[in-house]
Amino acid sequence: MIQRIKTAYNQAIFDTDKIAALKVVQEALSEGISPEDIVFHVVVPSIEYMSTSFNQEFGTSLAQHFMTAQIAAQVTDEMISKFKLPPEIIGKMVIGSSHGDFHGLGKKIVIGCMKAQMIEAIDLGLNVAPEKFVDEAILHEATVIGISSMMLHTARGENGCIKVRQIIQERGLEGKIKIIVGGAPYLYDHNLYKIVQADAWAENGIDAGAIVTKLIKEAKR
Amino acid sequence: MITGMDRLIAAVNGGKSDRIPVFCNLFDQGSKELGMSMKEYYSKGEYVAEGQLKMREKYGYDNLWSLFYVGREAELLGCKKIIYANDGPPNVGHMIIQKLDDIHRLQIPDDIFTLPAFAESLKCIQILKKEADGKYPICAYITSSMTMPAMLMGMDKWMELLFMGPTDVRDELLAKCHDFFVKEIAAYRKAGADVLFYANFFGSTEAVPIKFFMEHSLPWIEKDMSAVGTKGIVYFCAQARFNNVINIVFERTGIENYYLSPLADVAEGKRIIAGRGLTCGAINDIKLVDWSKEEIRQEVKRIIDAGMPGGKFLFTTAIMPYSIPEENIRAMVEAVYEFGSYE
Repeated sequence: MIQRIKTAYNQAIFDTDKIAALKVVQEALSEGISPEDIVFHVVVPSIEYMSTSFNQEFGTSLAQHFMTAQIAAQVTDEMISKFKLPPEIIGKMVIGSSHGDFHGLGKKIVIGCMKAQMIEAIDLGLNVAPEKFVDEAILHEATVIGISSMMLHTARGENGCIKVRQIIQERGLEGKIKIIVGGAPYLYDHNLYKIVQADAWAENGIDAGAIVTKLIKEAKR
Repeated sequence: MITGMDRLIAAVNGGKSDRIPVFCNLFDQGSKELGMSMKEYYSKGEYVAEGQLKMREKYGYDNLWSLFYVGREAELLGCKKIIYANDGPPNVGHMIIQKLDDIHRLQIPDDIFTLPAFAESLKCIQILKKEADGKYPICAYITSSMTMPAMLMGMDKWMELLFMGPTDVRDELLAKCHDFFVKEIAAYRKAGADVLFYANFFGSTEAVPIKFFMEHSLPWIEKDMSAVGTKGIVYFCAQARFNNVINIVFERTGIENYYLSPLADVAEGKRIIAGRGLTCGAINDIKLVDWSKEEIRQEVKRIIDAGMPGGKFLFTTAIMPYSIPEENIRAMVEAVYEFGSYE
């Protein structure tokens, strides 16, 4: 039964049809599927499905990623309130757009997907100063900083990731806080994340979950 | 003397001049040429025109731009806050649509040409027209009906409305942006722009699924084109790939010129266009910041080898980042002049 639900849910998000996706979830609940199974066996696999579909014919699109994240966040919020036990959070990250950057779509996709994958993502907003990334990571005990940049000058500028790395080093936090970057410039230069001294990059918000999970584990070591 | 316009016309008609045309999309670099801050540079049409003319003269490429920065279109519709950087393009600092009710209040001016907010752009084109004297094509950047809302309300809010409705409000905004598109393109044509970049991120299946493209994007592209005609239009999807929809766009709209993504398979794009129009092959200019001269040469050669055979090919860049060293820009254009030569 769960396979049938998963297929119907995947099709709905593939078609960017939020109403259909929510209907699948409601029907699953009324058929006795647990809220935990809906999150971990329907919603989370749908994010992985989007990720693996990325390179197939016609691929998946930014719109599908956006809808996957929006729906995943909404369903997860609703299901968590029905969980028998509070879910275990894998870890925390802070995320924002780099200094001088006012684009927020990519960040929004990441946050939606993180929620379903039990990673608490604290949204720092747009145009975030480098000091704020580190201060907020410390404040929230987050072990990953996510920096989203839509433009090259905000990705590799002096107040971008490079400065965040410098502050992490100055405060003796190297290894304890990891940095992941993403956004358009990184799609056009896959080595750019090394130039800006990040630990990792994600090609899209959907892929970010697995990479952040890995970084959280590394930072905890 | 063969001019940029000669090269472009020859390429469009499937003929040959001395070499393939090259469009180099330099914008913010004009401030450096004039020794001004970005804010000062973009404050007057004569500065932008002077920057464009100086840069074309310096590197010898074939086009001139009337575009200041992309957010300029939002200013035509009332955006009052632009945030400047010293090392990159200005950002829209205020979204004029904050809530759905603002869409009902959005008014499209009757005549863009006489709009005070268009005055500096108009002055820029007029200077370029006079100075270029028909020798170099003047490019304009016009955002499609479906993409314009992203500049008025932010991409995330627009995606929410586009995919989750309410559909009547969505359609009202699209209709208003279509009205604006038609009037804006008329203004640029009246001012004398020769090449019109039809900017439409939603015209690529990297932006939307193919089903949505067929049901929504394509009908709006058809509507845009049937209202303004395809003369001088270049299909451009904000650097996203779109080889898989070229055939259907050509058949349904008649657009003949395609600006392929820097990540596109140029040979494949050229095969699909199949001599029906101009193929524009773009270099991945983000990498121009760090590439060596030899790497630039090899990449230019790769693109030209893929696109030049059979003619009807133009070499171009994306929106050149400010941090590309001048010697790398020079290395790129010189490699095009070498490998793109017909002589």
